[in-house]
Amino acid sequence: MSDSRHSRRAFLKGAGGVAAGGIVGPSALASSATESTTRAPKRLAGELDVELSINGAKQKVRCQPRTTLLNALRNHCDPPLTGTKLVCDHGSCGACTVLVDDEPACSCLLLAVDARGKEVRTVEGLANEDELSPVQAAFVEHDALMCGFCTPGFVMSITACLEKNPGASLPEIKSACAGNTCRCGTYPHIFDAAVAAGGRMRKGGSK
Amino acid sequence: MSVQSGPQWKARSEMKVLNTDVPRVDGPAKVSGRAKYAHDIRLPGMLHARLLLCPHPAADVELLNVEPAKRIAGVVTAAELADRPDRTIFLGQPLAVVAAETPEAAEDGLRAIEVRYREGGWAVTPEQAAAEDAPRISRRQPNALTERETGNQGRTERALEGADATIDETYVVPVQHHCCLETHGMVVDFDGERARVWPSTQAVTGSRGEVAQALGIPADRVEIVCDYMGGGFGSKFSIGPEGLAACQLATELRRPIHLMLTRTDEFLMGGNRSGGRQRMRAGASLDGKLVALDAEVWRHGGIGRGSNPGQPYIYKAETDSMRIGSVRTNTDANRAMRAPGHPQASFAIESAMDELAYAIGMDPLDFRMRNLEDPVYHRQLNRVADEIGWYDHPNRETPGIPTGGTNVGIGFGVSTWGGGGRRVCVVTVRIDPDGSVTSSAGSQDLGTGVRTYVGSIVAEELGLAVSQVTGRVGHSEYGPANASGGSTTTASLAPAVKDAAHNARVAFSERLAEWLECGPGDVVFANGEVRSGTNERMKLTWSEACSILGSDPIVATGEWQSHLQTSGIHGAQAVKVEVDTETGGLRLVKMVCIQDCGLPLNRMALRSQINGGMIEAIGYGLFEERIIDPWLGVALNANFDDYKLPGSTEMPELVAIIDDDDERQQVIGMAEATIIPGQSAIANAVANACGVRIRSLPLTADKVLMGIQEKA
Amino acid sequence: MLLPATLEEAVTALDKESTEPANEQKTRILAGGQDLLPELKDHLAEPETVVNVKGVAELGTDVRRSGDGFEIGALATIAALARNADVPAVLSEAAASIASPQVRTLATVAGNLCQRPRCWYYRSEHTVCLKKGGDECFAYAGLNKYNAILGGGPSYIVHPSDLAPALVALDAEVVTDRRTIAIGDFFTLPSESDPTRENVLGPDEIIREVAFTVAPGWRSVYVKFKERESFDFALSAVALALRLDGDEIAEARLVLGGVAPTPWRCRSTEELLRGRKIDDALAHEAGEDALGGAEPLEFNGYKIPLTKALIAKALRKLS
Repeated sequence: MSDSRHSRRAFLKGAGGVAAGGIVGPSALASSATESTTRAPKRLAGELDVELSINGAKQKVRCQPRTTLLNALRNHCDPPLTGTKLVCDHGSCGACTVLVDDEPACSCLLLAVDARGKEVRTVEGLANEDELSPVQAAFVEHDALMCGFCTPGFVMSITACLEKNPGASLPEIKSACAGNTCRCGTYPHIFDAAVAAGGRMRKGGSK
Repeated sequence: MSVQSGPQWKARSEMKVLNTDVPRVDGPAKVSGRAKYAHDIRLPGMLHARLLLCPHPAADVELLNVEPAKRIAGVVTAAELADRPDRTIFLGQPLAVVAAETPEAAEDGLRAIEVRYREGGWAVTPEQAAAEDAPRISRRQPNALTERETGNQGRTERALEGADATIDETYVVPVQHHCCLETHGMVVDFDGERARVWPSTQAVTGSRGEVAQALGIPADRVEIVCDYMGGGFGSKFSIGPEGLAACQLATELRRPIHLMLTRTDEFLMGGNRSGGRQRMRAGASLDGKLVALDAEVWRHGGIGRGSNPGQPYIYKAETDSMRIGSVRTNTDANRAMRAPGHPQASFAIESAMDELAYAIGMDPLDFRMRNLEDPVYHRQLNRVADEIGWYDHPNRETPGIPTGGTNVGIGFGVSTWGGGGRRVCVVTVRIDPDGSVTSSAGSQDLGTGVRTYVGSIVAEELGLAVSQVTGRVGHSEYGPANASGGSTTTASLAPAVKDAAHNARVAFSERLAEWLECGPGDVVFANGEVRSGTNERMKLTWSEACSILGSDPIVATGEWQSHLQTSGIHGAQAVKVEVDTETGGLRLVKMVCIQDCGLPLNRMALRSQINGGMIEAIGYGLFEERIIDPWLGVALNANFDDYKLPGSTEMPELVAIIDDDDERQQVIGMAEATIIPGQSAIANAVANACGVRIRSLPLTADKVLMGIQEKA
Repeated sequence: MLLPATLEEAVTALDKESTEPANEQKTRILAGGQDLLPELKDHLAEPETVVNVKGVAELGTDVRRSGDGFEIGALATIAALARNADVPAVLSEAAASIASPQVRTLATVAGNLCQRPRCWYYRSEHTVCLKKGGDECFAYAGLNKYNAILGGGPSYIVHPSDLAPALVALDAEVVTDRRTIAIGDFFTLPSESDPTRENVLGPDEIIREVAFTVAPGWRSVYVKFKERESFDFALSAVALALRLDGDEIAEARLVLGGVAPTPWRCRSTEELLRGRKIDDALAHEAGEDALGGAEPLEFNGYKIPLTKALIAKALRKLS
């Protein structure tokens, strides 16, 4: 630490003075600045009612322009949809995976306002009443889960993959969940489950 | 078998439920998003809280003013932590807390806190801490302290001199993080009198006392609920500063508080596996005996002590000596992490064993066998060697040399663990007149399948299907239970479940004997029926039998029974790896683990645990390493982009073998053992493939490639 | 947040003043958001206004064949590019190598080209490095395993885009609201211009599309080496396009990724390749030539042999 290869310690934020106060960062998405003029583009600010279509049902969600879809699902929907998990908040782990117009996406990296007009599907929307989807049922049968925190994200990624191609090969299945992280180490059973679910979906011809 | 003779596990051949593949009972809740973790608890009026962490390894807090935060829209309060120090001692030490109506407002509030640090006087690397002019990290002791010496070093020196071959190498392991996907934290709902608390915890019973103390109320007014938790791996035994902060806010505001760490917070203050440095001077004779080992072991546990069981680990040296100590730095204290200390020790000894074997031109598998006394390891090593293809492998006595193309290598390692239990748990089994059966334990399910066997042991006892018994865990009202750590849960809890099931069965038999016209000892529970063991025609369906109970259900409790469990387990692993000698890139081809565990309760969950151990070791072996800039004192990879965990395409073919040659009819915990030798086997496989010995984890491509370049 | 409907509205909404440094711009463009949202969450960017261009009519989402080439809308997703079987292999392979399926769904082509560096000193909220208007590149004498071996100084970031080297290898053009820029002129070295920026775009300039022609006879490949195969940026990458005449190389474009602050075009190596047959000797010579000027830092010397190996692999794949 006494190593003086750098003069840089002076350039640490907060090292020499009071750290920046006030509101920064995401608040930019919510700034409630000037009035709109006629030629100016549409402005979103403050609290909004955002109409989302989640699992086939329209819902008005009170949130801010900076609110992520993940945050909207977990904290602003009624009832809260907490099946989609917040883990890294940076799109690095896939625990918040939802399907947006049937494509997998990290709901932590999509603003709720940008999900307007799109069909959002979450893990809560897969089962038909109490009947698990083929992917969900296969996860249970193959013990493709341990603590279960990553499970909804994996289920969504595998669902997106198999709905397009129930005959997906093992490498394709691995690629489909390459953005999902499991810390308990469930991967091999997830692969088994995905292959089995694909087989069942090919036979059943259903989602 | 007489029911009066005390609980005994059935013979494996007679088991219908245990020792089979049982899908876990909470699977449907987990795959459908219905499982509620602490993160998911939503209560009316609940506030979202965030902690302010010091971004420096050590600093004087010259100014801390939370008032501006309180003026932010949506912020309800901001406060300094009750015990916040004037000088911080580790990077990421929490100082203040904000509570707000929404997570966004809590974030804004946090940013508004005025804080000024005078940072300095710190050390984040062991080298910095051990330097002569280093600032003192603990008042009580020097930064680097040798704590224990074993053996006679003089004798070891002489034995080393007489050895046919010697090595003198230092092996380094980094700090690894638990990376629980659910971060630490809790939801606390406190009305001033009573509290209901949802912590993400490995210790439902222990949390109750901690929360009670934090809230200043008797423990019997605290209810702990942990139905599901998103990974602990040893880091979630205590409610921690985050739990104390939540309690502080709940006391002040009397509103439900949701305080879960952010991912970066989790990296900085959520614990870690200690790093370390081990110098191994070892000697072998030409006939393959480890004749001498002198080890100098340093643990790097931040402001904690670190962990390492010492050397020689598992292997037997004819003469050995060791000095072991720790070097402290201004970083978060290490915590228990799945098999604390053992993977670190494994990496040094298994690498050294391989290096010695090649030094005397011996097959490293043979060399291992010659220095392992326990025949179980011989059997297990042979099994994994067979499975991985060792006997057809060309580089058995000499490592390969870089070909310019792909080199294939194989490596091995062994593990040990205790896995025994102790007397803590009290389990209740209840059989109701409507036919429902519940089995309740105040334990917790970390993802190991506890909830499933809490029910399935009872199902086995009563001849029912797993679905007919409801296993309940994760609630302080279900009775005392031990914390889930050190693979002690199964051996502490399963015997108590068995005892309760047995007691329930005895009690039910006594009630049914008259109806079945036989003695209580002759009542047979099987296939969802209850019948007389002396007269086949006398039988009742399960619901008929239960209806006999009238308004008087069977309620039986069970406690730990020493004879139903034991301790002492073994494992062996083998890895096959492809090294791209042009790029240094590694591809794991296949990984095999055999693990003994006494009586298997749920074979499918066991295979999951074995896979999980191998995969966490893959992360440790290939990628994981905490990075702090040593000159700035800034955390550089406290996120899932730069702290890399293994993903789907890193997975080799994984073969999880339950060692059925272990015929012990007692349960033993086994999860820790499976994580111990994987990274060592990977390092040995790389060396076997191309002769490049990497002595520091992780085995990233840059190290392998530079090693190959040096050889060329 | 502003939601312009037209390119003109969007340009008008952006701050025209070129403020320094780049991360302190008062306005930022939000397209796919896969880089901007993490930057906002980590307080690396703290704009007053975010201009959300998702609804801008002129910004296309298509990967379109046009004459003898392709026009790719600024808002085309990486996923669309990755599954497009018509575009040259170097481009679809580069796209498929990016991040994860989830990120590829939302990430856009323009966003990929304009994403900010991944250097962990830049990404730390607690440092003010050269890239953020400070005086020092901490990577230079710091933990620089992932940093530049070519073209570094005073900043040693590597450009994180995978599409960038691929598009340079295709000799593409970047079309903005006001001009067309040859992609070779699009990215800037820190030594030659504002070190807080990675390209020539003005603060109120918006990419409309990326276009390139495909001449007959060209073949191409993208070879990327990731520390973690499942999900990672490049430690090093090679985009190679060749026009073969029989088994001789008639023309070549060789571009490196992950090793320099810009996609790094190896012109002398391209000359060296011309008229030669692909064999081990040529692969060796090409690697030596391309990395001849490399100046590794303390912890990134491995990138030299690594990149040489990737060049050899790329040549072998096209032989």
